[in-house]
Amino acid sequence: MQADPPGGMERVAVSSIGVAKPPEAPKQIGRRYDRTTLLFLGPPAILMAIFLVYPTIYTIALSFNRGRRGEFTEWVGFDHYINLLTGDKSFLDLGSFPPEGAIWNNVLWAVFYTSLVIFLGLVVAVLASRVRYESIIKAVVFLPMAIAATALAIIWNFVYAPDSNIGLLNAILSPVTDRGISWLGNPSLVNAALIAAGVWGSVGFATVILSAALKSIPSEILEAARVDGATERQVFFGIIIPMVSLPISVLAVTLLVNVVKLFDLIYVLTNGGPGTKSRVIAFTMYNDSIPGGQFGRGAAVAVIMLVLLIPIMAYNIRRFRSSRVT
Amino acid sequence: MSRSLRLSAFALAAALVATACGPAGTTVPPASGGPAASAPEGSSGGSVAPGPAGSINVLSLWGGSEEKAFQAVLADFTAKTGVTVNYEADRQTYSTTLQSRITGGNPPDIAIIPGIGFLRRFAKDGSLMKIADLGVDTAGLTSSYPEGFLAAGTVDGQLYAIPAKYNNKGTMWFRPDVYKDDGVTANPATWADYKAALDSTKDKPGAMALGAKDDWNLTDWFESIYIRQAGVDAYDKLFGAEGDWTDATVQKDVDTMLEVINDKYVVGGIDAAVGRAWTDAIAQVFKPTPEAGTFYEGGFVGGIALGQTNTDLKIGETIDWYPFPKINNTDEVTTFGGDVVGALTDSDGAKAFLQYLVTPEANKVWASTGAIVSPHKGVDTSAYPNDLVKREAESLTSASAIRYDGSDLLPAGIAGEGLGALLQRAIRGDKIDWADFQTRVKAAWDAE
Repeated sequence: MQADPPGGMERVAVSSIGVAKPPEAPKQIGRRYDRTTLLFLGPPAILMAIFLVYPTIYTIALSFNRGRRGEFTEWVGFDHYINLLTGDKSFLDLGSFPPEGAIWNNVLWAVFYTSLVIFLGLVVAVLASRVRYESIIKAVVFLPMAIAATALAIIWNFVYAPDSNIGLLNAILSPVTDRGISWLGNPSLVNAALIAAGVWGSVGFATVILSAALKSIPSEILEAARVDGATERQVFFGIIIPMVSLPISVLAVTLLVNVVKLFDLIYVLTNGGPGTKSRVIAFTMYNDSIPGGQFGRGAAVAVIMLVLLIPIMAYNIRRFRSSRVT
Repeated sequence: MSRSLRLSAFALAAALVATACGPAGTTVPPASGGPAASAPEGSSGGSVAPGPAGSINVLSLWGGSEEKAFQAVLADFTAKTGVTVNYEADRQTYSTTLQSRITGGNPPDIAIIPGIGFLRRFAKDGSLMKIADLGVDTAGLTSSYPEGFLAAGTVDGQLYAIPAKYNNKGTMWFRPDVYKDDGVTANPATWADYKAALDSTKDKPGAMALGAKDDWNLTDWFESIYIRQAGVDAYDKLFGAEGDWTDATVQKDVDTMLEVINDKYVVGGIDAAVGRAWTDAIAQVFKPTPEAGTFYEGGFVGGIALGQTNTDLKIGETIDWYPFPKINNTDEVTTFGGDVVGALTDSDGAKAFLQYLVTPEANKVWASTGAIVSPHKGVDTSAYPNDLVKREAESLTSASAIRYDGSDLLPAGIAGEGLGALLQRAIRGDKIDWADFQTRVKAAWDAE
């Protein structure tokens, strides 16, 4: 049931660190570390060191520096972090209720985007599996996945345009509204509008994964339950949901990581506006680093992003371990 | 087995080294990885050297019709000097590309630089060459260019960039046919006249179009009002390192702005305007059946309206502009925006290009395309092919004072909310904490 690559990768990782003490004889352990093994482990280790470990350490170090031109120019200690978390209302503003700022917007995305994508994906997958033209439905729902995020944002720019002669949504609503609704210009609507566009782009992904998971449930189990007199509702909540809980959690982790990395949609659709109401962490990182030229501060934002990703990753690794045990 | 493996490991390592150290060539990694994605240090040694002898790389933000016009200049340059030009245009991610090139040790020879805050940063980082070191007679430039333009390319008393092209930002675009139908006979000259004109056109078909999703439209409004209401000296101070954003003139500027940018005059209301792209606002005025009579933005609106929005427009009948109305000023003063050209290497090709670019001939070639207004004094207004551009050029030479777009003078690294984002809130009626903005602007100036 569990996809193969993660398990395989973990095996490599475990043996390379040598954490798990296998029950085999010590002689065999020695053979594990012969030259061929090292030859196989060497290239990935070098690649990881160059493209992952080095940039990470560099970024962390840079976050404590002024970082002009992205180089080390002047050490500033925790200044960037203190300023970001206490002095920049566009990044985090706990003074208002509900809180505001880029971090809070990421929380909104994490909650609403993730749950809506999974919920709608599950609904479409379940309903589509009960009709004959399932493949057509799935193809249509999957279509947005084939669109680059930038192109997707441009499409939604037209959908959300405030004037009904351009904006699709306002054209549809024009009989009931006297004036176009400014989806992206109104601070109280902008995040909901952006999340809706994001959900539209990702439901297809969830549908395909969940649909495959549903197909893998042995039909005998479902039949047995029905024979025993379970209602469709009981079958759905008592059997189907628990049996696809692992794919759902894989999906949730993937979507959460997407949320933390989220940038392109915001950049193209609103550029963080109106004001700074739709900024997310990755947008702030870009904005401070590239147009702003404050690479140290941008690096600090990147480190905050990394810290937020750690619990998700920890959960992910733990789940891989436990799923292997069972 | 193990031999072939070793061989492939070598091949892989060689490929890695080649990718990491070679002059990155055509593609530059995008910024999605942030600072961490920039090239490893130590790879910059020696790669600053120019390409093959007799050619230069030019990184520009001009595409479309602007590029076509500039290509005419480049062709003339190549004909005169024999230096070939590799031209590369990137408008959307220009700053990202340029920054990545510089950080990666592979800067273009010549860069077209938008925004003076940007110029200052690269100059102070030491990435830009001094014009004086490139064989250009800087003393002679003062007779070729008006003072305000050279000042735009100067950082700490040193000239780092040549003004290339500019646009008057004091142009109020309007529909002469709409004004005529609504009985506005004379072009509004004062703020009161202007409001009266908006009142007359308010319902037939609408007063003003605004696309404030592009927040630089709002900073241009702010600056145009400020230079006319608070005066040129106050303007210089506010957009300089000693600027005080808590000064009463700042909020007064916003209040004046709100007299015209409000639900009464802006077609569709403020809420919609904040969600509207500025090109859509141009279309509201200049499409065949207009929804509004007036649109404020710089001289470049003419090219967009005539070239893209509606090719049937007739200058003087369905499209025209008048100077931004006077507020407290008696003389004509205005703001302008434009791009400057700097060199990132001191290769012979880069020197030759800048030496060529300051000649009147180069500017005449460029002006004759009608795509730009040249800042060069050697370009006579007769060089311009149409009346809208000609008048724009005249308006700047005849003004008693012109100043560079103020928001482009501010440091690029203002943490958090910038001026444009802040004005987006202001026109929605939010109260602005200018003291907070002042702290952040000051910090950005100090950090430069």
